[in-house]
Amino acid sequence: MRRGISILTAAGLAMTLAACGGGSSDDSTSGAAEETTASETGASGSLTIWVDDNREVAVTDAAKAYEDATGTTVDVVVKDFANIRADFSAQVPTGEGPDITVGAHDWLGGFVKDGLVAPIEFGDALADFNTVSTDAFTYDGQVYGLPYAIENVAVIRNTALADSTPATFDEMLAKGKAAGTKYPFLIQVGDEGDAYTMYAFQTSFGAPVFVQNDDGSYSSELGLGGENGNNFAQWLQDQATAGVLDTNITYDVAVDAFSKGESPYIVGGPWMISAFTDAGIDVAVDPIPSAGGETASPFVGVQGFYVNANSQNQLTATDFLVNYLGTEDSQVALYEAGDRVPALNAAADAVSDDPIVAGFAAAAENAVPMPSIPEMDSVWSFWGVTEANIINGTATDAPAAWTEMVSNIQAELDK
Amino acid sequence: MTDVSPRTDERVKQKEPRKVFSQATNWGPGFLTKLILMAAVNALGLYVLVNAYTAGSWVVFGGMALILVAVDYVYFSKKTLALKYLTPGLVFLLVFQIFVILYTGYVALTNYGAGHMVNKSQAIDAILMQNTRRVEGTAQYPLAVVRNGSDLGFAIIENDEVFVGTADQPLEAVDGATIDGTRIAEVPGWEILSMGEVTENQTDVLALRVPISDDYEADGAIGTQTGTTGFVFRSVLTYDDSSDALTNEETGTVYTANGSTGQFESADGETLNPGWRVFVGLDNFKDAFGDGRYAGPFVKVLVWTFAFAFLSVATTFLLGMVLAMTMNDERMRGRKFYRTIMLMPYAFPAFMTAFLFAGLLNTKYGFFNEVLFGGAAIPWLQDPWLAKLSVLFVNLWMGFPYMFLICTGALQSIPSDMNEAARIDGANGFKVWRYITMPQLMIQVTPLLISSFAFNFNNFNLIYMLTNGGPRFEDSSVPVGSTDILISMVYQISGLSGEASRNFGLASAMSIIIFIIVGAVSAYSFKRSRSMEGAQ
Amino acid sequence: MAFGRWFKEIGFRHVIGVIAVIYSVFPILFIISAAFDPRTGLTLSNDLFSQFSLENFTSLFNDTMFWRWFANTLEIGIFSALGTVLMGAAAAYAFSRYRFSGRKQGLLVLMVVQMFPQLLAFVAVFLLLMTLGDVVPALGLNSKMALICVYWGGALGANTFLMYGTFNSIPLELDEAAKLDGASHSQIYWTIILPLVTPILAVVGLLAFIGAFNDFVLANTVLSGRANWTLAIGMNQWVGGNERSWEWFAPGALIAAVPILLVFLFLQRYIVAGLTGGSVKG
Repeated sequence: MRRGISILTAAGLAMTLAACGGGSSDDSTSGAAEETTASETGASGSLTIWVDDNREVAVTDAAKAYEDATGTTVDVVVKDFANIRADFSAQVPTGEGPDITVGAHDWLGGFVKDGLVAPIEFGDALADFNTVSTDAFTYDGQVYGLPYAIENVAVIRNTALADSTPATFDEMLAKGKAAGTKYPFLIQVGDEGDAYTMYAFQTSFGAPVFVQNDDGSYSSELGLGGENGNNFAQWLQDQATAGVLDTNITYDVAVDAFSKGESPYIVGGPWMISAFTDAGIDVAVDPIPSAGGETASPFVGVQGFYVNANSQNQLTATDFLVNYLGTEDSQVALYEAGDRVPALNAAADAVSDDPIVAGFAAAAENAVPMPSIPEMDSVWSFWGVTEANIINGTATDAPAAWTEMVSNIQAELDK
Repeated sequence: MTDVSPRTDERVKQKEPRKVFSQATNWGPGFLTKLILMAAVNALGLYVLVNAYTAGSWVVFGGMALILVAVDYVYFSKKTLALKYLTPGLVFLLVFQIFVILYTGYVALTNYGAGHMVNKSQAIDAILMQNTRRVEGTAQYPLAVVRNGSDLGFAIIENDEVFVGTADQPLEAVDGATIDGTRIAEVPGWEILSMGEVTENQTDVLALRVPISDDYEADGAIGTQTGTTGFVFRSVLTYDDSSDALTNEETGTVYTANGSTGQFESADGETLNPGWRVFVGLDNFKDAFGDGRYAGPFVKVLVWTFAFAFLSVATTFLLGMVLAMTMNDERMRGRKFYRTIMLMPYAFPAFMTAFLFAGLLNTKYGFFNEVLFGGAAIPWLQDPWLAKLSVLFVNLWMGFPYMFLICTGALQSIPSDMNEAARIDGANGFKVWRYITMPQLMIQVTPLLISSFAFNFNNFNLIYMLTNGGPRFEDSSVPVGSTDILISMVYQISGLSGEASRNFGLASAMSIIIFIIVGAVSAYSFKRSRSMEGAQ
Repeated sequence: MAFGRWFKEIGFRHVIGVIAVIYSVFPILFIISAAFDPRTGLTLSNDLFSQFSLENFTSLFNDTMFWRWFANTLEIGIFSALGTVLMGAAAAYAFSRYRFSGRKQGLLVLMVVQMFPQLLAFVAVFLLLMTLGDVVPALGLNSKMALICVYWGGALGANTFLMYGTFNSIPLELDEAAKLDGASHSQIYWTIILPLVTPILAVVGLLAFIGAFNDFVLANTVLSGRANWTLAIGMNQWVGGNERSWEWFAPGALIAAVPILLVFLFLQRYIVAGLTGGSVKG
């Protein structure tokens, strides 16, 4: 009996210890390979880069080239894109975080305000990039990141169902109806609205979210109110009544329906293309038609890489970005990973024979950069939800709901 | 929890020959096991202490020393019987739970958030870095980092001629240097650093400024960000340590540090970003209660939070209990099959459940409307009341297996002879349930129901992934909706969702308030519950 | 046995069982259907099982780190469950069998501490592990061991109560008799009490395993490197953003559910065996 007890005791507790021992030995190896803290890297010469799944391969190739050329080891850490902004914000102030992270340009204002990212001086090389992309990464006269790709929404057309995209919304709708499919036209809305995807139609009524300065940068003055904004709100309601806009059309529903050939037109970005081509749909990409008479300007988002302001390896990080990720080969490789138009002009030219890329690039000619000013954070949720409420009929007086939204956003900005 | 006397002592006191029973004086295998384990624990502890000492991490050192002393005392003293059983769990609880709460309390007293993410020295560094600019219209130079003894310097090419300088020595032309294409191959008297060496010294290289001429103010200085290209930089702002102020060299404006707001301010109120973290006392708590925009939705949200938490517990528990009792008859065949299938909702990743139901409940295309309700367009997630119902329904699906499990576990531990005795005495099924099973069950599960209440009170994931709080209140100026519970409201208005500017201080303060509310309610019901009687 | 009586005593249980089974599985049928449907997109068209192909599974196994994450999840879940059972049971035993000052308050504190909303934990946990990691790398960020330790921090919470009630239901006379026979307190605990409460240990173990299996917030904070991810982190990435990989997610979710069901099947024997064979009756 006694022996039994002690064996049981020993077994039970030994298991616990084994857990510690087993776990720790395993982790010290894998941990060392993956994670390198800033304090360790100063002397050994290594860089840590956060990327998301899509961009991993392309960045790894550039990292390999850098390792071979300089002997500096580069750790490519794959993160969920949705967490990168929050994790970067939380970790950089503690002295942790990566030396470089991938990110979207509209994070820039917040990053600069929080002192998290370091400016990069490109010198003459700046002219090699698409102006929209470098403008997007410029804050208060300084460039803070390496842009690598621009993305925007456009009209994606099922070539078997429609031969062209007319220049006005009403004509496109008529053509869509003539195609005789389940939907004349698809755009994702969802229960919380989708102000980003819808933005081109809003600008065609002359109601930009913030008023732009002469140099193209945004002021913090709201531009989406007034008569133009109310006209857009009324248009939303009219289209919803006609059944064209519908909050039940979520991203999944829209993509699924278009993949089944149920609509000739869908508003969407490069991220949708593979779903359509996999489903055997032959697509073309056209600029977004105007609904309100003025030019329809979608938002353009720029993807790029930021350098950690507290990094001990700023010099190597900048060198890697400017001289390796900024090259044509790397930018083409990044394009192949994500189908977005490269920010480097030479790379964009190299892939311009792809009609899809050319289509998005053509649609981007009218585009405006998504504002990166910190004020933008206060806008999104009011904006989308108000659109959704107008579309689903919760808000019966569309212009009044729109005006209410503008005053709510203004109150948030004044906080 | 120090004074310990075994529960049985009072009854067996008179015949207790302690010596014989005491483990410590018995060199049996049990004691040896303990010795070996304690040796291992002490070895681990010493390892941590040595590492903490070498790493200079005094907090860890102190904490580990305390833990080690406490653990050794507990396991080698004869007076600490209860603690022998409690200590392992308590150590982990203290380090990994209590710390989290205390830290949140600390954050609640600061202005940690957008614009105040970093500490003061980081803020100064960032401001200086952001305001170091390339002088407009100046050229860029191919550059090499050179060294002479311990002096670091730059060599640049201008008009096919090589210039070298250091921080103290303005650029001067050197004779005999060789240029290979656009790279400097050799500089007499200077050693050119390889990229690896530049990397090793990168902090110094980045900070190095080589004046172009003796007139530093007018011409600026060369710096580099890559070690291969040089630019003329000029610092717009300079920091003076003694006055703790930043001065703009171009306009002469002086920005002094304001320790109570955590920002550099000029005399006319202009501030520089970023600011830094400072203590703001109870300001966050005042904001949480004092801001009028939160007050209106707060009451609605609070009421719904209680209703949601209570109804979630009630529905899941009732369903789980009924199923557990139904399945708790040994004569029933296929119980294993039923039980396994009923566990499936629990076995599925929770985040997938929300995605799935959001699709199933789609007004036009969802399975519910299209198949079950014959094409009716019922706005499950858009109508305020239906959305509430849907949230409860989905939570029931996700939650009943847990209740089923704990009820099954608890029912197993109720001696079956009690039921049999009652039945022989003529009690019918309902009476047995009402007077025997139910009270026994409740004693065991009441604390779990309370903690389940608390869990649902903070069931952020479900709300966030299924409805994101929607449909939104139309009459509110903050982004809060009909199915928002307190924790998801905090998430929205404190900017953690990325839809408003982030304010960790305010979010922490609100978390503490929620903690106090749910803690007080739970403690009260816990004290009143019968389970405490069982604990006498 | 006549049908009427059979139905009254046993049969109705099957009726309830079948209803519960339908309720439990119908949403899951969608996932099963999507897992075998090679068309991309989680089809919302409700035409279940119109396609059948193993394409998605092949792609899942070849193009992703699914099995690596699967192994990580199992490792973390198993160790987390073992530790939770050992520590929780020990604490419950102490609260049930010993009287010490601060006992009632201790129970209350345990109850309340676990109610803290964990939403902001990522900042504190991050900071804590960063500090610990400088001293003991194995307990730093991106370590599975560190995550297991964080889970162990919650071992005492609800589990202590679950087990505390069960411990109380075991008569004290057993302890006393053993003590008179010369057993030490640890012998009583390990050889007499614990075997009697195996069912509740099994339940707690299963709950802890499932908890670790499903956790996203803490795991996502601690495990930064993809090779150390759990299924919850990795699979969330497939459907979180714009580019959705339902073709991986659906079969992945199906496979992910298997270990929990297996653990349950394995432990069911203990849960069901209960006290019937134990010495409590004697």
